[in-house]
Amino acid sequence: MVALTAAPAERKPRPPREAARGSRRQNRMTLIAWGFAAPFVILFLVFLAGPIVGSLAMSFTDFTTRDLQTPFNVNVVGLENYINLFQDPRFLRSLLNTFVFVVAGVPLTMGIALVVALALDKGIDRFRTVFRVGFYAPVVTSIVAIAIVWRFILQPDGLLNGFLSLFGIQGPSWLQDPAWALPSLVFMAVWRNLGTLMVIFLAGLQSVPKEHHEAAMVDGANVFQRFTNITIPALRPTLLFAAVITSIGFLQFFEEPYVMTQGGPLDATLSSAMYTFDQFGFGNYAFASASSYVLFLAIVLLALIQFRLLGRKQD
Amino acid sequence: MKTLTSRPAKRWMAAAAALTIGTLALAGCGRTDGGGAAGPEAGAAIDDAPATGTVEIWAMGNEGEVLKELAAAFEEENPEATIDVTAVPWDGAHDRIATAIAGGEVPDVSMLGTTWVGEFAATGAFEPTPDGLVDESSFFEGSWGTTVVDDVAYGVPWYVDTRVLFYRTDMAEAAGLEPPATWDEYKTFAQAMKDQGATSGVSLPPGGFDSWQYVLPLVWQQGGDILADDGETFTFDSPEWQEAFAFYASFFEEGLAERVRLEGGEIEQKFISGAAGSFYSGPFHVSLLRDQGGPEFEDKFAVAMVPGEDSRTSFTGGGNLAVFNDTDNRDAAWKFVRWLSQPETQIEWYGISADLPSVQAAFEDPIFADDPYLSVFAEQLADSKAPPAIPTWAQVSAVIDQQLEAVTRGDTSVQDALASLQQQAESIGTGQ
Repeated sequence: MVALTAAPAERKPRPPREAARGSRRQNRMTLIAWGFAAPFVILFLVFLAGPIVGSLAMSFTDFTTRDLQTPFNVNVVGLENYINLFQDPRFLRSLLNTFVFVVAGVPLTMGIALVVALALDKGIDRFRTVFRVGFYAPVVTSIVAIAIVWRFILQPDGLLNGFLSLFGIQGPSWLQDPAWALPSLVFMAVWRNLGTLMVIFLAGLQSVPKEHHEAAMVDGANVFQRFTNITIPALRPTLLFAAVITSIGFLQFFEEPYVMTQGGPLDATLSSAMYTFDQFGFGNYAFASASSYVLFLAIVLLALIQFRLLGRKQD
Repeated sequence: MKTLTSRPAKRWMAAAAALTIGTLALAGCGRTDGGGAAGPEAGAAIDDAPATGTVEIWAMGNEGEVLKELAAAFEEENPEATIDVTAVPWDGAHDRIATAIAGGEVPDVSMLGTTWVGEFAATGAFEPTPDGLVDESSFFEGSWGTTVVDDVAYGVPWYVDTRVLFYRTDMAEAAGLEPPATWDEYKTFAQAMKDQGATSGVSLPPGGFDSWQYVLPLVWQQGGDILADDGETFTFDSPEWQEAFAFYASFFEEGLAERVRLEGGEIEQKFISGAAGSFYSGPFHVSLLRDQGGPEFEDKFAVAMVPGEDSRTSFTGGGNLAVFNDTDNRDAAWKFVRWLSQPETQIEWYGISADLPSVQAAFEDPIFADDPYLSVFAEQLADSKAPPAIPTWAQVSAVIDQQLEAVTRGDTSVQDALASLQQQAESIGTGQ
């Protein structure tokens, strides 16, 4: 606020004619600037802001398939869609599933990715590139191919249960057991998203100043102390970034249940995004928009919380 | 608050949002009773003159890929007509049609999944089938029913698909059993298959996508249905549904079927290895099993009509053809549709795509009549039904899937599941 009030006081008073000419020139400059910005602004308004605002408006109506040809011929129903959403036990279940998925998946992905990144940064010297490629490969592999492989692993007589039976353990039918289906998908998602975070953490680790470590070593700090007191604080912005993008990705948890379980068994893997997708498929466009805005709000909230907790302390 | 520029921007955004919402709210008041669409009106009859001009048709999956071959024959008969086939993958087909209708950029003709007709007809995008275009009674009754919404037919059935019982003949012979005709025999049969070493006497999905297709025939077989005769009231609380759910669940409770949902690709292997003694599927599985089982497996399986109670009704699906109201070439579009539903064309089409004809007369051809598998499908088609063409069917059927799974997994009782199903279906409504 200080900046605004102070600024006019600093400006030197000009003779009136010069001021008028200046402001005319300024107006022209502004116009030209807008002209240059126009391609982006128009595209943004038409293809981004328009649909976003439109879908928000749609979530307050009763738009369904029958209105496709006459989109303005709908009734405004206010918050009815949102009220119905929170009265639908399946939607509440999908929120819970998504919550569990994020709470279990994000720390797990970040933790494992950090360990892998540390190992690749410090520990492993041989075949470093091979490992990097190996850990990153799932990120760039098509989800369809992944689904087929993971079905082989997780099916009742699949690889995982075959491995467990070596130790005399009779594994469950992972994807068809309501208790194990969600943990299986969490595990699969962690495996799939590990690579991205690993690369980000590797970059972060390389930017930690060596001098600090050397200084700490001189002071007699052990490996663990150096990790918690030097590496972690230096990685803080990287961790925040990783937490935010992983959370956003995990909140939109969709591909894994879509290709593996279709939300089953007994809605054990029904995520909010999957629920929204189903509603769009049923032609309940307004209702689906409402549910996607609930998810949107959840994402915004979680991002805000993370910025608060992990953001720079001096702010 | 270090950056002050964000304030006016925010205000501007808010204003824009409020304005848009306001306009929408003002413009969007009052729905006409007809669901926003003009009432259906059958157009003029279609003459017999050769078709002219271009007809754009969307077809899904395998049909989209091979329809060009068949269309070439039509172009030969009608030299001034061109058929423009666009292949659409099944996955995105439903949304793509919805988008096309919303944007007014529709093709002339589109193939449709039989269960989509109700939903899209409600948008008013389809033209009702002109009088006298085809003879309604030449089609299988169940298939013709899939085109009818509120007593108006939209388009014609193109090909059909029905479920029959696939079973292992070697295992049935060893047990000294014929394929089952009644529910009692069905239970005995499944038990016998299990005694012959199968882990599932019959493979049934315990729930999940489209498992309603397995339980619904059980309701029809007792004379029950989804809607009462008025076409508006759901009847999930009827004794037929209770009986059907209980009978279906008993296969899991008695261990005759494993609580494992087999996806495409898994069932063939289980059936060939003998882990599954029998399962329900459509005509495409015959060639699939022949390919995967090899020559020695060929005489180890057969198909039979589904077992029943009062009737041996099965489920029918398939593909329909519909013409859009916005077509630029109405006459040629309908002529092409009419040509596609001729018995001779349909027999030729079977040779290209392996799709079963929707016209009954085609089955008199030796290709079908003399084939041990296809003749069973023909027989089953005469006693098969389709779910009602209501716009909300996809949603209602998803609830059936969920409640059925809750019962088969022992999560809830048949009574509670059906009460919940009835209540949810009523709140969804028939959408009419």
